[in-house]
Amino acid sequence: MKTRREVLQGLIVSIGGASMLAACDNAARVAVSNSQSLRFFSDQELALVSRISDLLLPRTDTPGALDVNVPGFIDGLMAEWANTRSQESQHRQLTELGHMLGADFVTAADAESTLRELDRAAFSGGTGYGGYRALKGLITQSYFATEEGALLEQHWVAVPGRWDPCVDI
Amino acid sequence: MADFDAIVVGSGMSGGWSAKELCERGLKVLVLERGNEIVPERDYVDQMPPWEQSNLDRISEDEIAAHYYKQFPGVSYAVKESNKHFWVKDDEHPYETAAGTEYDWLRGYHTAGRSIMWSRQTYRMGPQDFEANKKEGIAVDWPIRYEDIDPWYDHVEKFAGIAGNRDGLPQLPDGQFQPGFELTCAEKEFKSRVEAAFPGRKVIQARVAHITAVTAEQRELGRSNCQSRNRCHFGCTFKAYFSSLNATLPAAERTGNYTIVHNAIVQSLQYDEVSRRITGVQVIDAETRETRFYSCRVLFLNASAMASALILLQSKSTAFPNGLANSSDQVGRNLMDHVSGAGASGLISGFENKTIFGRRPGGIYIPRYANITEHDKPYMRGFGYQGSATPLGNAGGQIAGIGREFKQAHGAAGPWRVSISAFGEQLPNPNNTVTLHPSKRDQWGNPLAVFNVGYGENERIMQVEAGKDSVAMLKAAGCTEISSRTVTLTKPGNRIHEMGSARMGRDPATSVLNGWCQAHDVPNLFVTDGAFMTSSACQNPSLSYMAFTARAAHYAADLLAENAI
Repeated sequence: MKTRREVLQGLIVSIGGASMLAACDNAARVAVSNSQSLRFFSDQELALVSRISDLLLPRTDTPGALDVNVPGFIDGLMAEWANTRSQESQHRQLTELGHMLGADFVTAADAESTLRELDRAAFSGGTGYGGYRALKGLITQSYFATEEGALLEQHWVAVPGRWDPCVDI
Repeated sequence: MADFDAIVVGSGMSGGWSAKELCERGLKVLVLERGNEIVPERDYVDQMPPWEQSNLDRISEDEIAAHYYKQFPGVSYAVKESNKHFWVKDDEHPYETAAGTEYDWLRGYHTAGRSIMWSRQTYRMGPQDFEANKKEGIAVDWPIRYEDIDPWYDHVEKFAGIAGNRDGLPQLPDGQFQPGFELTCAEKEFKSRVEAAFPGRKVIQARVAHITAVTAEQRELGRSNCQSRNRCHFGCTFKAYFSSLNATLPAAERTGNYTIVHNAIVQSLQYDEVSRRITGVQVIDAETRETRFYSCRVLFLNASAMASALILLQSKSTAFPNGLANSSDQVGRNLMDHVSGAGASGLISGFENKTIFGRRPGGIYIPRYANITEHDKPYMRGFGYQGSATPLGNAGGQIAGIGREFKQAHGAAGPWRVSISAFGEQLPNPNNTVTLHPSKRDQWGNPLAVFNVGYGENERIMQVEAGKDSVAMLKAAGCTEISSRTVTLTKPGNRIHEMGSARMGRDPATSVLNGWCQAHDVPNLFVTDGAFMTSSACQNPSLSYMAFTARAAHYAADLLAENAI
């Protein structure tokens, strides 16, 4: 597994931002798939989705969303599953989300609090957050559909073999 | 000498039972299946883990638009990339609807039909369901009563394997149950609060066609206990849930009397005006377009309520210019389904430190109370609710929070969500029809089906009231954040409880079949799929199709033994 620092550098270089690299020198938060193989996202969109994925589902004692390449998974899904209209809608929603989060969100040191604030608004009855909620759903479902997310984090069992209707946590 | 003693058209929920019972009575049986063969070892995809599915197991939107434009919107919870071979391609199997109407014809054409993809909730009809038409002057009277079918429910339940609790409710009779799936702790609390607030209502375990205490007979067929995987819509390698392919067809096969031919699409049933009997079936091969004729002594139509009616309508003769066995003009009328749309969900607290293990089939069921224990309703008949109360978890990402806490929410302490949805009875109406298109034909030359089906005021009023009742029960149970839906009725056909298109009755002038599912007009013709249903009740109907089929098969075998047909 690459270190987050390494994949972060790969991303930043790929979107041509040497100055951005300096800006987030101590913010080893972003990892990404090989952006040269992108099929749907632009580099900027990938950076945004990657940042959000990492903030939503960070590495803990189990792999995070970036460790299992959730952004790459969604990139493939949008290329293969979505029709033209859904693709256009996704691009539009990412643009809007980028504006809501601010121009420097991807590299900002306070990105976590920015996203937390937006998330709180999105889940307390706020309108205009459909794009964010849909993306959050996609990131979450994609993460738990990976082998690591399903087995290590969710403790998904292929054959439970029994039904226990009430278990202490 | 006929090619076969009996021909069964269709290998699905009821056709499998026809085949099994007739074969076990020593008859040589041919099953005609219009679709391709499903081989469990090859075609079940239940063992595929989530990470081997592509794109969250979603069928691409362009492919849906091209091939699954009816099936996917109708059953999106079950039509997936990995199991799409269980569903018909709409462009290959088109149908029409009358102007201003809609109909969801949701199908699988292959061995075992929709018994592979059904949702397995299994309830008996009750005594009131057989009496209601007569009491209320609706349509025609059922020619039989609950007592007539009761032993046949026992018969099919023992073989199929039904998990459920004995609840002692007269309107939803108990049966031959294997142990049920215990309610969750939140469901138990919901049950006690709802039953305290509404003394006429009960919250019970869903009864499902899953084996939980495998019998010797089931073991012999290679079946075993349900493993609580919730992979049923993808087939079941454990053969734990009932389907024709998991149960009845293997039972028919082991008699040595069973033959099945796939890709055999019925063009017509041949009728001999001298003997006044069906002599056989004309089919066209779906792949080669070759036509063939198979002769038989008795014929069981199990093509599905809609397709069986269409086959009768296609089978015209001098004696039956409007379709075989249709002197009553009731073939293709009185189409019924169940109607949904009402329901509510909310959060229930008090179980934050509890969770569940395993993925059971089914959840809770609230049997019909309207016009049974409560008589203040602005509508006739009633509805049941299906639902559950389970931990909210991360709700597919649709909860607040980011970071570690959000990531671990799937198994963390938190609220539980209660959800219930109504399934209501649809009254029979002779103007709800399926007919043959006058000119358009499918690729095999059969006329396209034209549906003209709508709901009446009773169904509309009932669902609105069911919506209010659902909210009231969640409130009584102390739920918070209750979200009720605006009641938009499901499209006719959407519940996939097709029935009524060749109803049984006492009078040949107003019904197609007698109380044995035998055509009034043609003694060696039996129709035992949902077509026979004289009224729809509100219970999921597959178990009734099974019981009526088994009863009819034994009756037909008796008649054949006596040379009476």
